[in-house]
Amino acid sequence: MLIREAQRGNRAAFEELVRHYDHAVLRLALHLTGTEHDAQDVYQDAFLKAYKNIGNFRFECSFYTWIYRIVTNLCLDHLRKRNVRKEDAPVAKDSDGGEYDLLDQVPDARAGANPERDLMRRQLGARISGALEKLTPRERMVFELKHYHGLKLRTVGEILHTTEETAKNTLFRATQKLRGALADMR
Amino acid sequence: MKCEWVRENIVLQVYGELADDARHELEQHVVRCADCAAELKAEQEFHALLESDRATSPLMQGPSPNLLAASRMRLQEGLETVKQGSFFSRLAFDPTTWLRQMRFSPALASVILVLGFAGGVGATYKIYAHSPQQPGTPTPAAFNDASVTGIESVTQAPGTNQVTIKYNTTATQEAQGSLNDQRIQQLLLYAARNNYNSGVRMDSVGLMTQNPSDTHFRDALMYALQYDTNPGVRFKALDALGPYVKDDTRVRDSLLQALVNDTNPGVRTEALRMLEPVKADGSVRGVLMTLSAKDSSQYIKSQARTLLAQLPEID
Repeated sequence: MLIREAQRGNRAAFEELVRHYDHAVLRLALHLTGTEHDAQDVYQDAFLKAYKNIGNFRFECSFYTWIYRIVTNLCLDHLRKRNVRKEDAPVAKDSDGGEYDLLDQVPDARAGANPERDLMRRQLGARISGALEKLTPRERMVFELKHYHGLKLRTVGEILHTTEETAKNTLFRATQKLRGALADMR
Repeated sequence: MKCEWVRENIVLQVYGELADDARHELEQHVVRCADCAAELKAEQEFHALLESDRATSPLMQGPSPNLLAASRMRLQEGLETVKQGSFFSRLAFDPTTWLRQMRFSPALASVILVLGFAGGVGATYKIYAHSPQQPGTPTPAAFNDASVTGIESVTQAPGTNQVTIKYNTTATQEAQGSLNDQRIQQLLLYAARNNYNSGVRMDSVGLMTQNPSDTHFRDALMYALQYDTNPGVRFKALDALGPYVKDDTRVRDSLLQALVNDTNPGVRTEALRMLEPVKADGSVRGVLMTLSAKDSSQYIKSQARTLLAQLPEID
């Protein structure tokens, strides 16, 4: 079993474990941080932390839940720090410290095909990003795990060390806020 | 049933999180209540809006294969420097923590300084006292590739593993030895990375392919595969790395990089063929999906589709 091998210090087993989960981890980090640079930092910190602490994993929950707990905690820290730092969305900072508009964060892969539709798509993407930014870190996390990762609310509760009922309430609040913020887009 | 309960649970209905009996009740209620039906419709429209963004926004579609590969490589480097914590290590007495807790940091720094100084003096004495002297022949440690200005040629004696390398310092010099000779290995690595003559790089990479289990050689082969400007050299390196694609994840990532980024169709096709045994790997699958959707080469596109079709579906 890979987990037991990794706990015995087998690095190859740990790397194999990483490969089972790292795409989802990087995707979550990329959504929540919004930049590749920050997403890579979260990815790195999460798996190094997992490697250091895998001896403490006691099979009381699934490994999936355990690794997601580590990642979500790191992402929550990131979101909280960013909420303290930022003054007004949708301006963010890139890896060199330069500011850029989140509109530019949505790459235009189909530029030229239909400029009007591209513009609308970019506007929609930017509005959704802006609305997500206004959620509290915890609301954002629950919404992310439920909507974009399709996790069951019971699992979301386990990951965030809370009950399924609380996760439900948080999801309700998050969707209400998002609907309010995007009301004119429909 | 109260409308308030329905409105709080509509979001769970949309996400399929409602228990069967509650779902049934909710469905019955919205048939009778126009306000709640409108609320359900609004929630569904909101979801459709988010889905339309998810379908078209690259950020929402997840990390690119390149980002994933780069993150993995960085993690592997990071893992080199960390140690796993164990149960016993947590119980063990750690004097540094104790000193830190006791606010003895200045004292700790002094102790480390004194011990380090004493250790350094002792080690120097030991090295000078016991190092073997071989007058007349330069020791491998004395070889310094910073003094090498270029490699003239690399040749192997037929039927043996004896290699002759002509290299320049201030004047051309020559080194002879087996492939296991440390100095020969250093010169080969130097030739593979630094020489402007692609023929020399081809020869040195060719020799390294005889012993790709050597980690330095394997690193150099991965470097050649990614950065060498000559497709022949890249192709040679690729062939030598093939057997390690299953066990060495760094090799796998290098092949993925070559498959995605190499400018030579032959190298890309060969990389794709070599990745076939590990096609179920998450990152390989991700790259195959990207290639099958939008690669400029029809052949690569169709091959990627064929490989994907052989894989079981995952959730």
